[in-house]
Amino acid sequence: MIAKLRQHWIAALFVLAVLTYLYAPIVVIVLFSFTTSPRLSMPIEGLTLSWYRSALDNPLIISALTNSLVLALISAVAAGAMGAAFSFGLMRLKRPHVREALIGASLLPAIVPLLVIGIALAVFFRMLGMPQGLVNTAIGHLIVCLPFVVLTMNARLETFDFSMLEAARDLGASPVRTFLDITFPLIRPSVVGAALLAAALSLDEFVITWFNIGNQQSVPVLVWGMMRRGVDPSINAIATLLLTLLVGLVICSNLLGRKKRS
Amino acid sequence: MMTGSGLARSGRASTSLRPLLPASLLYVLFFAVPMLCLFVLSFWRAKGFELIPDFTLDNYEKAVVSKLYRTLLIRTVVVGFVTAAIVVPIAFSLSYAMRFVFERRGQLILQLVLLSLFSGYLVRIYAWRTILGKQGLLNSTLQWLGLINEPLEFLIYSNIAVVITLSGLLLPLAVLPIYSALLNVSRDQMEAARDLGAGRVHLIRTILLPLAMPGVRTAFAFAFLLAAGDFVTPSLVGGTQSLLIGNIIADQFRGIGSNWPLGAALAFVTIAIVLAIYLAVVQILVRVTR
Repeated sequence: MIAKLRQHWIAALFVLAVLTYLYAPIVVIVLFSFTTSPRLSMPIEGLTLSWYRSALDNPLIISALTNSLVLALISAVAAGAMGAAFSFGLMRLKRPHVREALIGASLLPAIVPLLVIGIALAVFFRMLGMPQGLVNTAIGHLIVCLPFVVLTMNARLETFDFSMLEAARDLGASPVRTFLDITFPLIRPSVVGAALLAAALSLDEFVITWFNIGNQQSVPVLVWGMMRRGVDPSINAIATLLLTLLVGLVICSNLLGRKKRS
Repeated sequence: MMTGSGLARSGRASTSLRPLLPASLLYVLFFAVPMLCLFVLSFWRAKGFELIPDFTLDNYEKAVVSKLYRTLLIRTVVVGFVTAAIVVPIAFSLSYAMRFVFERRGQLILQLVLLSLFSGYLVRIYAWRTILGKQGLLNSTLQWLGLINEPLEFLIYSNIAVVITLSGLLLPLAVLPIYSALLNVSRDQMEAARDLGAGRVHLIRTILLPLAMPGVRTAFAFAFLLAAGDFVTPSLVGGTQSLLIGNIIADQFRGIGSNWPLGAALAFVTIAIVLAIYLAVVQILVRVTR
């Protein structure tokens, strides 16, 4: 009993230490987005909202934000739909070897360094004669988002009852009818959840964007430029806004996945 | 009758394959083909801003012979390796605590760990620069508390800063596969081994680690491969003495004196070396835990 308690105590301390390591940067950014001193150091002198005001007054931010939201929307809809369909098709494959191989192949873009995917796409579009821009970037985002959509959909489709579809077909429903009346309503929360995850990944994507977006900007590309130029505390304000958006999307995505199970 | 059901079955098979098509097409067209193009490009020549189709091994020769690239490659492998060596044990201990100490509540901790992954990739790197900087949070706090008189210089623009930042970035990614692997180990198995007199260390080494090996391997792959491929972290928290090969590759594509074919060759040399080391480490890991 005492041994168990002691083990619990040590484990709790360890978990706390790791969570501090993971969350310290996040806390720092949020904290410093509200401080008056432009120098990011202790002790804190006072609190202000002026960095948010100067961030939102910046016309570059508005155009970067528009681009980011467009990319996120495309990623959510296209990667969500394609990834869900892919995962759905995988579940119906009878041969386990083929299925395993396809899952493995579909996860490859998550393991190849983003730098390599980014430059490979830049080279490919250059060879096609396509100028850099939002279209190229959007395609890159789809490639990055798909593995994660497939992974989440695979986990969520595990409990899906495929015999229901057979029953519908035996009762004379056409494939389209079956999909609209039975399949889609059942998997909708999972698909929306996976799509929100894709939106979050796209909003946060920097490397592929940087190599393919050309002279345009997304929020991460803009933040990168500001970071390199030096200390401007409105970066903290932009970063905090981005962070809030990302965390909100991921929490919604998780909640949608859970609702289906209960 | 027979042919009828046969037809129905083949019809069903074709409809069940159709959902795979759009994503597969996208993967082939915009992942596999571009990788192939990059490979082809690594044999071309660059003249000014023009790319000239060719079949030359010059780029590879330059990538292997140049002392600068070799130094950067070695540093990249070491930084990737040290990062993985920090991340994987922490991820394993954390997963162990989540699975066997906190049990149900472990899921909540997992959610928190994964949530940190979505707080912005650039934002977290930038935040580490704020924390580790010469007049950053850590130094100014230590000075404020009177623990040090001079700021600790090694905290920023050093290999240490790169490893600290990369470990923080990649830790959540390493936790997921190890925790999933530990989910397959039942408490009963653990209890049984303990009842038979196995000590904690023995238990972890002979039962838990071999069973969790697929997860550990994936975690190592994530940490090592992604750390070795990153260039954003070294350019923000590493100094000129801490640049990694990714920085040079990125420069070949977006820098001033850019050379795409050379960049492509450097990328493939890096991938080959990193993969070879990864496979060797996995072999050793498998042998040690057997």
